[in-house]
Amino acid sequence: MEIKSVSIFSDEDASSIHVKRSDETYHVGPASPSQSYLNMNKIIEIAISAGVDAIHPGYGFLSENETFAELCEKNNIIFIGPKSHAMELTGDKMKCKEIMKKAGVPTVPGSDGVVEDVEEAVEIATEAKYPILLKSAFGGGGRGIRLAKNEQELRQEFEMASAESRAAFGKSALFVEKFLEKIRHIEFQLIRDLSGNTRHLFERECSIQRRHQKLIEMSPSPVMTTEKRKEVGEIAKKAAIAVGYLNAGTAEFLCDPHGNFYFIEINSRLQVEHPVTELVTGTDLVKLQISVANEEELPFKQEDLRLNGCAIECRINAEDPLYEFAPSNGKVPYCNLPYGPGVRVDTYLYPGCTVSGFYDSLVAKLITWGSTFDESRRRMRNALDEFIIDGINTTIPLYKTIMNDSHFINGDLSTDYLDRFSIIDKMNSEIKNKFNDKTKILPGVAAVMLYSEYIKGNINNGSSTSAPPSTFSNAARKNLNNANTSNWKFGGVAY
Amino acid sequence: MEIKSDDIKTIFHGEIVEFDKNNNLILRIDDKKYELKLINFTSNFLEFIFDNSFYEIRVLESTSTDLKILLNGNPLTLKKHSKLAEIIEKAAGRGGGGGGSSLNSISSQIPGRVISISINRGDSVKKGDNIVVLESMKMQVAIKSPRDGIIKELKVKEGQSISRNDVVAVLE
Amino acid sequence: MHEEKLKQFYERKLTAEAGGGEDKIDSQHSKGKLTARERINLLLDSNSFTELDKFVTHRSDDPELKKFYGDGLITGFGTVNGRQVFVYVYDFTVLGGSLGEMAGKKVSKVMSHAMKVGCPVIGILDSGGARIQEGVSSLDGYGDIFLKNALASGVVPQITASIGPCAGGAVYSPAMTDFVIMVENVGQMFVTGPEVVKQVLSQDVTFEELGGAKTHATKSGVAHFIAKDEIDCMDKIKTLLSYIPQNNREEPALATDNIDDFNRVDQKLVNILPENPYHPYDIKEIINKIVDEGRFFEIHELFAENIVVGFARMGGRSVGLIANQPLFLAGALDIHSSNKAARFIRFCDSFNIPIITLVDTPGYLPGADQEHNGIIRHGSKLLFAYCEATVPKITCIIGKAYGGAYIAMGSKNLGTDVNYAWPTAEIAVLGPEAAITIMHRKNLKNSPDAVEIKKNLAKEYRNKFANPYIAAERGTIDLVIDPMETRPMIINALNVLSSKKENRPWKKHGNINL
Repeated sequence: MEIKSVSIFSDEDASSIHVKRSDETYHVGPASPSQSYLNMNKIIEIAISAGVDAIHPGYGFLSENETFAELCEKNNIIFIGPKSHAMELTGDKMKCKEIMKKAGVPTVPGSDGVVEDVEEAVEIATEAKYPILLKSAFGGGGRGIRLAKNEQELRQEFEMASAESRAAFGKSALFVEKFLEKIRHIEFQLIRDLSGNTRHLFERECSIQRRHQKLIEMSPSPVMTTEKRKEVGEIAKKAAIAVGYLNAGTAEFLCDPHGNFYFIEINSRLQVEHPVTELVTGTDLVKLQISVANEEELPFKQEDLRLNGCAIECRINAEDPLYEFAPSNGKVPYCNLPYGPGVRVDTYLYPGCTVSGFYDSLVAKLITWGSTFDESRRRMRNALDEFIIDGINTTIPLYKTIMNDSHFINGDLSTDYLDRFSIIDKMNSEIKNKFNDKTKILPGVAAVMLYSEYIKGNINNGSSTSAPPSTFSNAARKNLNNANTSNWKFGGVAY
Repeated sequence: MEIKSDDIKTIFHGEIVEFDKNNNLILRIDDKKYELKLINFTSNFLEFIFDNSFYEIRVLESTSTDLKILLNGNPLTLKKHSKLAEIIEKAAGRGGGGGGSSLNSISSQIPGRVISISINRGDSVKKGDNIVVLESMKMQVAIKSPRDGIIKELKVKEGQSISRNDVVAVLE
Repeated sequence: MHEEKLKQFYERKLTAEAGGGEDKIDSQHSKGKLTARERINLLLDSNSFTELDKFVTHRSDDPELKKFYGDGLITGFGTVNGRQVFVYVYDFTVLGGSLGEMAGKKVSKVMSHAMKVGCPVIGILDSGGARIQEGVSSLDGYGDIFLKNALASGVVPQITASIGPCAGGAVYSPAMTDFVIMVENVGQMFVTGPEVVKQVLSQDVTFEELGGAKTHATKSGVAHFIAKDEIDCMDKIKTLLSYIPQNNREEPALATDNIDDFNRVDQKLVNILPENPYHPYDIKEIINKIVDEGRFFEIHELFAENIVVGFARMGGRSVGLIANQPLFLAGALDIHSSNKAARFIRFCDSFNIPIITLVDTPGYLPGADQEHNGIIRHGSKLLFAYCEATVPKITCIIGKAYGGAYIAMGSKNLGTDVNYAWPTAEIAVLGPEAAITIMHRKNLKNSPDAVEIKKNLAKEYRNKFANPYIAAERGTIDLVIDPMETRPMIINALNVLSSKKENRPWKKHGNINL
């Protein structure tokens, strides 16, 4: 778009790709988010001194912070997103719910307002009956959402949910919602320009989640029909208009097994899963955001948009799926990104980079497109096999299992998909069965034998050796120093 | 040498029969001979053609008894000296003496920094109670007590950074 | 023709290898312990073991005392990950692993060999003690071993693993070796056992409490490592060996497959210290960031936790690290930590391992307890060890460094080669509060708002004295560095100092205040 880019980085990100690719880059603070990426004043300071015209807040951090949007407006910097007053409305989940009710948009049953203290929460929960969800009124991206199955859990989770919310968004206020079962999470991508032109770019189904964080998103949703799509699309547009929304955003709905849609919230930012929509509509949403912020009109009418083919996104997180999804961070000495027709990888990884323990565990987004759901699914399956990330644990094995899971293939999804079909157990047994017969293990056995000889100092880097291994002769011993330099990490020992 | 696979509970008997200048080896595993051509070998990475298929092996961990590898990207653990390991493991089943057996220790599933400690020595806790709260990757994770009991020992301090499997407290 | 002789040989060989017999072996296994030969298989590379003195038997005329080949001890040489080592392993299945005259000679022989060829010696203890039936001869056996331990000390590395009992005088052998590893719930060492303790002092203690692995790793400092089982014990020995050279004339091997960039700067170090200098933090976090691949092999992890010592690699070189740990006792120095660090320094000096010191200490721990137990003597050991060492010494002051503790932690005048300091370093004779109390005693005594004045004076003091620049102006600190460059700065210093040669005046040996 011929626009100069300026990026900011914290101590952790000094060697990150965004720093390398932008035209100018500035240091914003130490690793801790509150002192860097959440430090509004510092960011504005840098923006002013660098002479930027607009700020794109991405997702997470300050992207849905109306104070920040206001600060930008005050300093004559265009905030690429909705206006601060719209963000205030969408940011306060309770107020938003009220507005939607008035606008005739169907909503989820739950607490009427913010719950100040844990006793009030317990009261509401006891009445609405467990299980209940504790949600942060300022949350998003699954953060600050906790499930409580009984009172003891509710008390513990209340404290932690508050702390987490404060850490991620700078503030905390919780509300209680009844946890509905077997529901699907379906959202609509919206975009609205200054002239009030409102368009929706169809739906995404994001039902496969873990701890209320999306794992897989796809478009179209297997249960959407053309009529329903039109109907709910219009409702979504109504929601955007009701809060006076501007630029790109998403209206999230819950869909129950009977096909009823309930509005939950509007995410007033571009979302992680936006590439899914980009691939099925052939649009570039970030470009659109910038043009809308530049006061241009949307270049298409609703009827111009087509949903073509099927796109699936898998969120690759730095977590160990074989060990309760324990976070895994550290250096990535080697990685191999998959490529090919219909394969897109959005990531900050490169061989030698470091995955930080200070930020989110999402390290890569793997998106595939196919002319049918099945083509997209197979491409995803192959791409997952080719995706190599060394040095950290990732959730890739989980997605491999899901891509082959019959329920997924049949589109039988819900927010409790993982539990309902015991996917984690399935993944564990698939990994075990990789080596379920002798012939598959033989190369491993050969490796053990070779390694034993290697650490004795008998095998030399693939080049030809003059002496046979000492297993059956008194071969001349190599220089002792060579023998143990080559494997200091494994002085025979584990990490 | 004897190599065991826990996955299929089998023990393999392997030995290197021949090894020539061009990195061609003949191995015998369980009375059958196999050909192997070594392509590349560094301290944690092997590439070879075994029985006419190409394999890439990454060594993740190597101890006296275990070799954890990624065989073409899939994790596999093979064991040496399996009989000896069995003898030792049988003893571990008996309750520990003053050392604190694993049944009594509460350990952390993840690495992280201790940001708050919810209990004191001598406190009595119930199953599911918070023991310490760790911070890692933007998330706060609580380590909970696996059962009812009394805290015998607290092993970490606020501000300390711990690794996965580190013990944070010991119950009576 | 010679078939008969060959047959005899194999029969004797099998008898020797059978140790104390099937039932003794089963008994050992039922306790969850391995036999001596099994332990050798676990420790040494496959097919690398050559046994010596396999057919040695005792010379006692006591008819009750059965003769066993090997006499309850297996000795010989083999390789560990390709490195030549000598081993002596007690065989509990033979006469309870008790040491007799000949067994003592076997150990002696192996240690002499090791000294001649310059290889580490690894001993695995699992013994009932002296063989009473042999009387004084068995004590002779121990004497021989102790002599060799002492002669070999500082010549070849000696490592002892305690995977079973070891009581009475026998415990002095491991105490003289360089490193002791005890296996939890299995290894035991004490001079007088619980029964005698009960008899003489009416104190009721269990074996574990008196001399188990936990006790020695946390309270007495006799054990440098606790292993959770025998396999872990072997693994720890192997890791330890990877950091140390074969003998005192060699340097530890350089790691050629190191992938951690020598010049890696770490932004996180800039703000890693808490704002408030009185807040504790974990020094191991800093250590992890500067060593190769964050691998730090800690020694004496549970003993004197206010100081951290261990091996790591920097730029592929094996180094000995010493650092104050602010999490415990605020990182103050005391009797135990002085002992721990001093011994470690002397080991590194014996075996050509460079020493890197990270400093953040408020001083020595005060109190009658410390004084009466001789902090003066023990503290002096640390100073002595630093001065005596001729290996490359590099110190980096990260935080507080007050008074005597500043000097003791590898300061320039003790002969340290390169001294760095972070901008957050506070080098002063006393901490601000203490200094103000003494310097302005008169004023504060008479003043009504002493607290306010004291606070302001302390602030002034801090700004004026508690920084590294005064020392830097005098050249006592060679360079104040940017914390994020700590790693490359240390590695550069190591590279330059790798050819360091330093002499000391000839003496038989110094008189360190033991």
